[in-house]
Amino acid sequence: MEVSRAHILVCAGAACVSSGCRQIRDAVVNKVIEQGLQNEIKVIETGCIGSCDLGPLALVYPEGVLYQKLTPADAEEIVTEHLLKGRIVERLLYKEAVTSKTVPSMKEIDFFRNQIKIVLRNCGVINPMNIEEYIARDGYLALGKALTSMTREEVIDEVLKSGLRGRGGGGFPTGLKWKFAFQSPGEVKYVVCNADEGDPGAFMDRSVLEGDPHSVIEAMAIAAYAIGAQQGYVYVRAEYPLAIERLNWAIGQAREYKFLGENILETGFNFDLEIRIGAGAFVCGEETALMMSIEGKRGEPRPRPPFPVVKGLFNAPTLLNNVETYANIAAIINNGSAWYAQYGTEKSKGTKVFALAGAVNNTGLVEVPMGTPLGDIVFNIGGGIKGGKKYKAAQLGGPSGGCIPIDHLNVPVDYESVAELGAIVGSGGLIVADEDTCMVDFARFFLDFIQHESCGKCPPCRIGTKRMLEILKRITHGEGKPEDIDDLIELATRIKDSALCGLGQTAPNPVLSTLQYFRHEYMEHIEDKHCRAGVCSALFDAPCQNACPADQNAWGYVTLISEGRMKEAIAVIKESNPFPATLGRVCVHPCEAKCRRAQIDAPISICSLKRFAADMDMKSHPRYRPQAEEPKGKKVAVIGAGPAGLAGAYFLALKGYGVTVFEALPVAGGMLAVGIPDYRLPREILENEIKSITDLGVEIKYNMAFGKEITTEKLFGEGYDAILVATGAHKGQKLNIPGEETPGVLDGVTFLRDVNLGKTVKVEGKVAVIGGGNVAIDAARAALRLGASEVSILYRRERSDMPAYSEEIDEAENEGISIHTLTAPRTIVAKDGKAVGVECTRMSLGKFDKGGRRTPQAIAGSDFVADADMVIAAIGQTPDLSWMNGDGVKADKAGTVEVNIKTLATGAAGIFAAGDNVRGPATVVEAVGDGKTAAMAIDEFLGGDGKAPNAFRDELVNVVVTYDEAVYQKELGKTAMPHLPVSKRDRNFNEVVLGYDQNAAVEEAKRCLHCYLRQTE
Amino acid sequence: MMINITIDGRPVEVEEGTTILNAAAQANVRIPTLCYLPEVQAIGACRVCLVEIEGNRTLQAACVSPVANGQVIHTNTERVRKARRFAVEMLLSNHPFECLSCAKNLHCDLQSLAYDLGIREIRFSGEKSGGRIDESSPSIRRDQNKCILCRRCVTVCQEIQSVTALYMQGRGFETRVEPAFDRDINDVACTNCGQCSIVCPVGAITEKEYIDDVWAALNDPTKFVVIQDAPAVRAALGEEFGYPPGTLVTGKMLAAARRLGFDRVFDTNFAADLTILEEGTELLTRVKKGGVLPMITSCSPGWIKFIEHFYPELLDHLSTCKSPHMMLGALAKTYFAQKVGVDPKDIVVVSVMPCTAKKFECNRPEMYDSGYKDVDYVLTTREFAKMIKQAGIDFEGLPDESYDDPMGEYTGAATIFGATGGVMEAALRTAYEVATGKTLENVEFTDVRGLEGIKEAAVPVEGIGDVRVAVAHGLGNARKLLERIKSGEANYHFIEVMACPGGCVGGGGQPIPVNDEIRAKRAQALYNEDCALTYRKSHDNPSIKKIYEEYLGQPLGEKSHHLLHTHYTPRSKF
Repeated sequence: MEVSRAHILVCAGAACVSSGCRQIRDAVVNKVIEQGLQNEIKVIETGCIGSCDLGPLALVYPEGVLYQKLTPADAEEIVTEHLLKGRIVERLLYKEAVTSKTVPSMKEIDFFRNQIKIVLRNCGVINPMNIEEYIARDGYLALGKALTSMTREEVIDEVLKSGLRGRGGGGFPTGLKWKFAFQSPGEVKYVVCNADEGDPGAFMDRSVLEGDPHSVIEAMAIAAYAIGAQQGYVYVRAEYPLAIERLNWAIGQAREYKFLGENILETGFNFDLEIRIGAGAFVCGEETALMMSIEGKRGEPRPRPPFPVVKGLFNAPTLLNNVETYANIAAIINNGSAWYAQYGTEKSKGTKVFALAGAVNNTGLVEVPMGTPLGDIVFNIGGGIKGGKKYKAAQLGGPSGGCIPIDHLNVPVDYESVAELGAIVGSGGLIVADEDTCMVDFARFFLDFIQHESCGKCPPCRIGTKRMLEILKRITHGEGKPEDIDDLIELATRIKDSALCGLGQTAPNPVLSTLQYFRHEYMEHIEDKHCRAGVCSALFDAPCQNACPADQNAWGYVTLISEGRMKEAIAVIKESNPFPATLGRVCVHPCEAKCRRAQIDAPISICSLKRFAADMDMKSHPRYRPQAEEPKGKKVAVIGAGPAGLAGAYFLALKGYGVTVFEALPVAGGMLAVGIPDYRLPREILENEIKSITDLGVEIKYNMAFGKEITTEKLFGEGYDAILVATGAHKGQKLNIPGEETPGVLDGVTFLRDVNLGKTVKVEGKVAVIGGGNVAIDAARAALRLGASEVSILYRRERSDMPAYSEEIDEAENEGISIHTLTAPRTIVAKDGKAVGVECTRMSLGKFDKGGRRTPQAIAGSDFVADADMVIAAIGQTPDLSWMNGDGVKADKAGTVEVNIKTLATGAAGIFAAGDNVRGPATVVEAVGDGKTAAMAIDEFLGGDGKAPNAFRDELVNVVVTYDEAVYQKELGKTAMPHLPVSKRDRNFNEVVLGYDQNAAVEEAKRCLHCYLRQTE
Repeated sequence: MMINITIDGRPVEVEEGTTILNAAAQANVRIPTLCYLPEVQAIGACRVCLVEIEGNRTLQAACVSPVANGQVIHTNTERVRKARRFAVEMLLSNHPFECLSCAKNLHCDLQSLAYDLGIREIRFSGEKSGGRIDESSPSIRRDQNKCILCRRCVTVCQEIQSVTALYMQGRGFETRVEPAFDRDINDVACTNCGQCSIVCPVGAITEKEYIDDVWAALNDPTKFVVIQDAPAVRAALGEEFGYPPGTLVTGKMLAAARRLGFDRVFDTNFAADLTILEEGTELLTRVKKGGVLPMITSCSPGWIKFIEHFYPELLDHLSTCKSPHMMLGALAKTYFAQKVGVDPKDIVVVSVMPCTAKKFECNRPEMYDSGYKDVDYVLTTREFAKMIKQAGIDFEGLPDESYDDPMGEYTGAATIFGATGGVMEAALRTAYEVATGKTLENVEFTDVRGLEGIKEAAVPVEGIGDVRVAVAHGLGNARKLLERIKSGEANYHFIEVMACPGGCVGGGGQPIPVNDEIRAKRAQALYNEDCALTYRKSHDNPSIKKIYEEYLGQPLGEKSHHLLHTHYTPRSKF
């Protein structure tokens, strides 16, 4: 046998083939020959190794180096550098999604490291077109063992004891099925392999057939021996030409080597195999339909019983298993049932292959032991959610399955546990949905699929799923009706109960499952005509505006800026936002997260464009002032001059109300003034914006603490017609650790307030900030500016879990702040009555909590002390509700004001609440949005129309831009934002982010794709 | 083996293997059905016969589920009622509500099922899958808007008739019953047998109606309108008026025809006797002169079209005789026209037939031998009943009347034409006597009677030896015989084939429902009439003798060759 110094395996699964692996193989072969290495290096085409997003890829052995995303041009470097000189080609290596670290060895890549391969044991390892490579990996040993040393009963018993269950989705014990087929009387019996894989996104069967066809052939021969069959069929869908080609080839080889045919291994056992190609009907994966199709009839299910093991193909007892089930058999026979049963859970043994798809960083085929927690598959193997977005749900089991929401990430993926949550393991489709997935639309997708694939035989499936689909389409088009939910449930319940086959009976599952966990999304579509994911485009003009809590018409002002129409832009902005210059600096900009431009390169810098327009307005004379309605002769009291209160005041003033704002502090702005440091939001900018609110006639009274100087009773007594309570969340949360009261330990909110109010705050030496939110980052950066020698942030989870804006975290690091993650404080270490350090424990991340984050767990014996002269605790804030006096305004369980979520009305007539005291600490833009919502609700309460102004929309959707759009619709990237150099940030609070100039702003705005433009019929 | 089960709380002992549906019937529990059709189809598709079996996760279709010992079955739980109602509700949500103007109004299974299940509102509405109205065929009208995809038509066409003109096509909501490639039914190998229209539970497949054309002819004072009816009509028409199957209503039927305004009332039976003379002579000639054997009857136009499509190479086996009503039509516009001195162009011949294929037949280009269209309109038994109802005639109160001369007299041999084996029996009665010159004492050839699919007999005839005959009814059985002819296994002299199961009594134009029990009762009525008649052999019919004397000369003579015989057209299988 020829021995080669190195092997280069080029992945040739169907996905890699279609992305050009054959050209790469040819290029490598050419280069190998060019270098005269053909006797030393062997180039092999192999099956799928699973990580499709990395393809086309190649593995170089003996090192096991994985090269990804190859082009034929890369062949030269691989051959001349790696194969000739032994130098790994760094640039072609796999890079970790989060850290961007390169990983040379396949075994060290998280995606592979966490897998156990039984079914896929040979995929990507051997050349599927060479039976000898299969034999070299113990191929056909199991057949030999079964035929020569085991009785049929012993074979069946071994499979039974292994605990293997049907991998096609049903999960029926495989050994039991074999036993029934064995016991079923009949001269002629058949074994059939179901390779009609049809779940959207699932391709494990294809990979096995393409990468290891002999494992299926061998298993079918063993099965045939066990039940007493002589003929087998593999039913493959026509969409799998490569699988068919390789299986055909393998069958031919197996016949040649006498593993198929007459007198196999000279034992007198006869068995042969034929391929039947299905025309691609999903329903033909249903066993009775599959057999009809093999018989040459229309592929439609028939009622069971009789089951195939009794009366199957051509009315003979038939054993039908799916590809993946068969692929386990040889390993079980070779290694024994006990070996197999060590993997998995009590009732679900062995491994399962999943086709991991959707919003995860690493997609592809993964094989894990049954019972692996879902979160481990998604986050460890899948590498988490793409683009740092939030996990929403995983859809398991394809169109028959269901989804598993974020609060169940710990669910062990096995038949029983998954079923308890309303999903199924199914054939292994695992589609991960992130926050950008609309669950109503998601359900609609699956139902659409099922409706098209229904065989049409029974009315519940044929018509019932259509009726469900119609309702879902209506809801996603914004035409949902309140009774739709009940109708969906009724339809789903009846269809499940009355449809003829498994396909129909499970067809409503995606709807029931999404209704179970995401009913609120359905309700938002139906009642609010809102799609939070920004998918159902009939419900909005553009996703940017749809994502904005303040309903800011972002697409409108971006378009106007691109045309240089700045004055109009500010008018559009100010229609729904009194704080454009402020929000242009500190907004978390959910609009950008949904910007369609991200699909080309990066989202439009919507937030910075707003800042540009607002700053420009601030510099102009006269400044834009929105037109207020005629005075209505009624007055409203607003308590709290934070963003929610002032926004409420602004919109109420525009609606013609007299507004007085009562503020407890000597300054207005709330957290904007006392929470956010100047380097992010210069004071004069904020003051300027507040001034434009008071210019509308809003009066602000300072040093008026709610519950003391003012009460709701008093205010009503003074003739106020309504009250908006927007007192924020200013109370810092306690650490609840020993030593917290030691001098030198303070809370982040208080610290920032003192700094912002200009109090003298002495900061010296080392500062440790505890927490991972924006307050923590602000406190850390402020401390640095105030003279700390060293600032570190201690956070108990991982960096990716930090709630602070990622830009702020980056800037903090740029400024030299060190972030210690997986570190939790235990005790404040004091010396001479003063804090000198924080005793910390290293944490590891364990199970997922209800919010989908892994729970930190202390690592025993990992305690250490971090030196600190000052400790700032910034682990959260709560509203101070001490003003409550039994006037009907109540607190809820979360410690916030209880309101009607739509109108923000409290339990007391005429009293509304908005902002952080309703939500807990949230974003500025949410506070502004709340202020607007409350203002409109107050307007309605006081007899107005309650409608927010929307004067520009119709004109804006018709704006035709005058520049050449095509120039801007190719990959460009964002327009760079100028920053104050780090060197110039020392000991000052000068603004760090400098903003666009006009030219940059216009260029950036021109990148907008104008996705609000709709094709008209 | 008998096993014990419980249905709705009552113990029931039934034969193992019985379906739940039949087991329930034995326990006097009626489980509603829709797609199920005894003798034709049990596929559990419509989900109307769902029942709950203790221990089963899902509901089961009673029509296909065999009982198992110890089973506890519930047929009337809330869950079952809701599921059944839902299945029908779904069908209704996709159905055009044209009940009042539908040809099947009050005769619609869906309609009565909806009533029985207590559906008072359609909770779900939406797009309708719709479909086309295919009026390409002269026999069949297909309104696919009304189709509920029960598949009875597909099954009867494929499995009973082996014609396979209709298929299930498409998937999901687009699933539909159509000829291959959605071609018009008249452009594919459809035999027009109309069995699909018999089994269709709704108004999706009906006969093409010519009632208004007939009314128009009757209303036209310049037209002389002649009606004739086939033997199977009189044995079934009564069912449309509430008589039990098997009631002969010949006298009332004729009285009704006169009240409708027909100028003469003739009997297709007369032409049946004529057929026997022509066909019998043809057979004897072939036997004696070594012509193509076996000879096969030609009076069933569905059968003719079947062999033209599927076995054109065997067309020489067909008798050249026209079907009886076509013979009568040709004679009405020649012999009769001369006799009464009416210009044949003003004579309108209407045939009331148990058959939809005859609507196609009368439009064949070969059927103009009188110089005019030999038969102008063919009405089915069902249509004729509708005319009587439209005219407000109190059918039950009618007196019995009789046929007009000269083409109203008939023998028992003619009347049994309406049942499978009848033509054969009639032919044997005459052939025997003609060939041997002796009187046949026992005229009843019971071997060729009954509903067995293929019947065989050997009749010893002096001078010839055993005359070997076979009878097939239903085109699936006919196909089996033809395959045997092709393979050389069949050494018959004479074969009778009827396209419809049971022969004309089970014809595609007969009152609905039709099943073996009803077929047998209708046939029995004809055999009873045969027994009661004076003349039981066609050649004994005095009117037949007369027409040969006065007009035709002799069987297979020149005139009869011209007027009473035809030729066939090979057609494509597709």
